Amino acid sequence: MATRYDIPVGSQHISLLEPLHFKLVTENEKIVDVEANVGYVHRGIENACTSKFKFRQVSFVVGRVCGLCSISHTTAYSQVAEKLIKAEIPLRAKYLRMLVIELDRIHSHLLCLSHVAENSGFEALFMKTMKDREFSMELLEAVTGNRVQFDYSIVGGVARDLKPEVAKEIQQKLNTFKPKLDDIMDTFKNNWSLSLKNKGIGSVTRENAMKLGAVGPLARAAGLAIDVRNETEDLLPWKQVGFELITETAGDVHARNLVRLRELYVSIKIIENILNGLPEGPIVQELKTLPEGDATVRIEAPRGELFYFARGNKTQILERLKIKAPTFSNIPAFVEIFKGNEYASVPAIIASYDPCLSCTAR
Amino acid sequence: MKKIETSLDKLHSDISNFYKFDLHHFIVMNAVDLGNEKMELQWFFCDYAHPCETTMFQTVAGSNDLIPSIKDIVHPAWVGEAELVDLLGLNIENTSKGFVLEADFDGAPLKKKK
Repeated sequence: MATRYDIPVGSQHISLLEPLHFKLVTENEKIVDVEANVGYVHRGIENACTSKFKFRQVSFVVGRVCGLCSISHTTAYSQVAEKLIKAEIPLRAKYLRMLVIELDRIHSHLLCLSHVAENSGFEALFMKTMKDREFSMELLEAVTGNRVQFDYSIVGGVARDLKPEVAKEIQQKLNTFKPKLDDIMDTFKNNWSLSLKNKGIGSVTRENAMKLGAVGPLARAAGLAIDVRNETEDLLPWKQVGFELITETAGDVHARNLVRLRELYVSIKIIENILNGLPEGPIVQELKTLPEGDATVRIEAPRGELFYFARGNKTQILERLKIKAPTFSNIPAFVEIFKGNEYASVPAIIASYDPCLSCTAR
Repeated sequence: MKKIETSLDKLHSDISNFYKFDLHHFIVMNAVDLGNEKMELQWFFCDYAHPCETTMFQTVAGSNDLIPSIKDIVHPAWVGEAELVDLLGLNIENTSKGFVLEADFDGAPLKKKK
């Protein structure tokens, strides 16, 4: 008869970058049940946004929801606020928002991949991926002024224009990065020892991904074609700049790695197309109206669907702001995908899931 | 966005008739405190098919009304329900406090002060 153990993982654990707690119930080495606790870092941001800050200031507050995908939050909020004040922003600002969103996706995906390598016991690949990721942080700083928590999208457009020398630097660094990405792709795809830790581990089927409401790379790795960039052409012209929806079918850690790696190629293509076809014109629209009514916005953050709901009442302070982060949607799937796996696979599964509790708890 | 008015009595059957797990993606449950002990409740869905349409079920309830849970129909809804119990003090069936806040947290931070 198997021996049952309750094994706590987190809220502070060597394989967890986020304050998240799991109670894993195992029978010998096999996980048979999971309880998750995400309630460690609630900061009351939704409350602050509807009580302490004027609606134009809120884009700077939601930029602090997450250090990794702050551009997704500031863009989603700016779009929802622009809907409430019925504003159309300049086309150049839309292109610049997409540029920074894709630079951000590159740094976020590479961070996730490096941690999958680390949690799979492949330290050298972790260090290589982190080293090669540095260019994206440098470019984000060059474009926005900050390495993290960049207040780039603002209500009405973007905060800074793209200087010609920065555009040139982006293209140069992308050219340097491409062969490095080929090398990283080759290792993740073909390395035998990594495959033992990643293939067939932490699997979720397409049907379960739908039943559990999975989003982002977790869903796409299971063959579920869900990417908000495919559905929001009215807000940002993704298809004009070469967006391509990536899916895999195996649904395991390996497939999630491949989805993220293939999405990096798409991000590079999008950025290059933006640089080659960046429209001339203003970067911000002067707006003087007050927010009124309800609006919703969905945006594809690096981890998946980010959703904003806002209600304005013709004052400077919003009546309600609701933020639904992608990790929040993925919690039900995350709890399920542990089951049936060996306890030793937990670190790699956690990293491949790419949780962001800062976004989730807000 | 398609808005569908429902009521606490009809909510379960309305969502049961609408939701197909392979056709609809559940986005989130939301609530807005309208004051005077009234809560506006919203459930957002979108289609998997392209181009997708967003559908919102909507109703107004009293702050202390027992709100039916839809997690037996839409499994991932348990996360959104648990969050709103903590943040807005909603009374949702089979859902207790303690998901994003401590279980003994006093009050609900997004609920309007009387």
